[in-house]
Amino acid sequence: MASEKAFISLLNQHQKIIYKVCNLYMDQHSDREDLFQEITLQAWKAYGNFRGDAKFSTWLYRVALNTAITFFRKEKRKPDIYSTDQVPEQGDEPGDGIEEQVKAMYAAIGELSKIDKAIVMLYLEDYSYNGIGEMMGITANNVAVKMNRIKTKLKEETRKQLAFTEM
Amino acid sequence: MELDELKYQLKDKLSTDHTGRSDADIALLLTKRTASVTDKLKKSLWLEIFLCILMLLVFGAISIISKQSSLRIYFSVFTIVGIVFLLVVIYLLRRTKKLSSTTLPVKSNLQSIVRLIEEFTRRYFQITMALIPICFIFALLLAYQEKHLQDPSAPFPGGHYFSSLWQVVLFVIAYMFVLAIVAFYFTKWYLKKLYGKYVQQLKACIEELGE
Repeated sequence: MASEKAFISLLNQHQKIIYKVCNLYMDQHSDREDLFQEITLQAWKAYGNFRGDAKFSTWLYRVALNTAITFFRKEKRKPDIYSTDQVPEQGDEPGDGIEEQVKAMYAAIGELSKIDKAIVMLYLEDYSYNGIGEMMGITANNVAVKMNRIKTKLKEETRKQLAFTEM
Repeated sequence: MELDELKYQLKDKLSTDHTGRSDADIALLLTKRTASVTDKLKKSLWLEIFLCILMLLVFGAISIISKQSSLRIYFSVFTIVGIVFLLVVIYLLRRTKKLSSTTLPVKSNLQSIVRLIEEFTRRYFQITMALIPICFIFALLLAYQEKHLQDPSAPFPGGHYFSSLWQVVLFVIAYMFVLAIVAFYFTKWYLKKLYGKYVQQLKACIEELGE
């Protein structure tokens, strides 16, 4: 019981991590809720083996990404860049160049594969290439190569998205 | 613009739509059922263990109390097969439990799930295929032996439809052959339908990580 309380308290403090992963991997609100539930349950099941030798946040990222990547219950839907469900309203100002760029980049990230999404997520969270490599089970060199490819892909895709919105 | 230039805005955007959950909400989530493939496998394995134990009790009892020697032999063999199957299922359950309680790096986790599903489907396939000869040929031989022991002058099985024993043997072989092919493809199709697409997707992720 004490361990359950401790887990709930820790998860509550770090629930933003799960939300980020859910937002990244799921387009629809109901799917995000399902994934949130699944990550919470998987984390609870694995919590007994959490030794505390890594930070809880790092451990939770690993559980969350493992769960999101292996979560194939529903057919993958293409993200809709104009969906209000996908892009939050706050701070959206028409004609704001940066905001448009962010929207386009966000949509471009949505087009990436599950593995690339995980790498981008960790990159955005300021993990080093070594840290990303450890989490993904690949070398730092491999991460660097992938990150370069992802950046190029995102640049091209963002350009396409922006051209599409201007039409 | 590039990813690095929008890093902080993207980070913010990812954490929006964050409604926040209370301790009570999280506690409630812990009582729900999971939808992960390892948990589905676990559920399926527990069901198989239950059915297998039930089968062992019934078949074991028949193999002891039956008055007919053929039935005793037949069900004893099934009891032995059931014990082997039970051991295999328990082994798979332990592996599944171990996997779901450890937090591996993404690539190792994917590889472990693929290995587990492949082993699960392979064993399931082997058992299904092994049961065909046991069920048919063994049953036929025992029935023939039982009949022959009771009445040595009794005609061979199928004597009403076939004029000689070799025709019966040929028919049984052909029947077995067709049955084995149908069972082979049906089992393969069924297992592929259950896990095929999922395993393919996981393998694609592993391949992507290996590039």
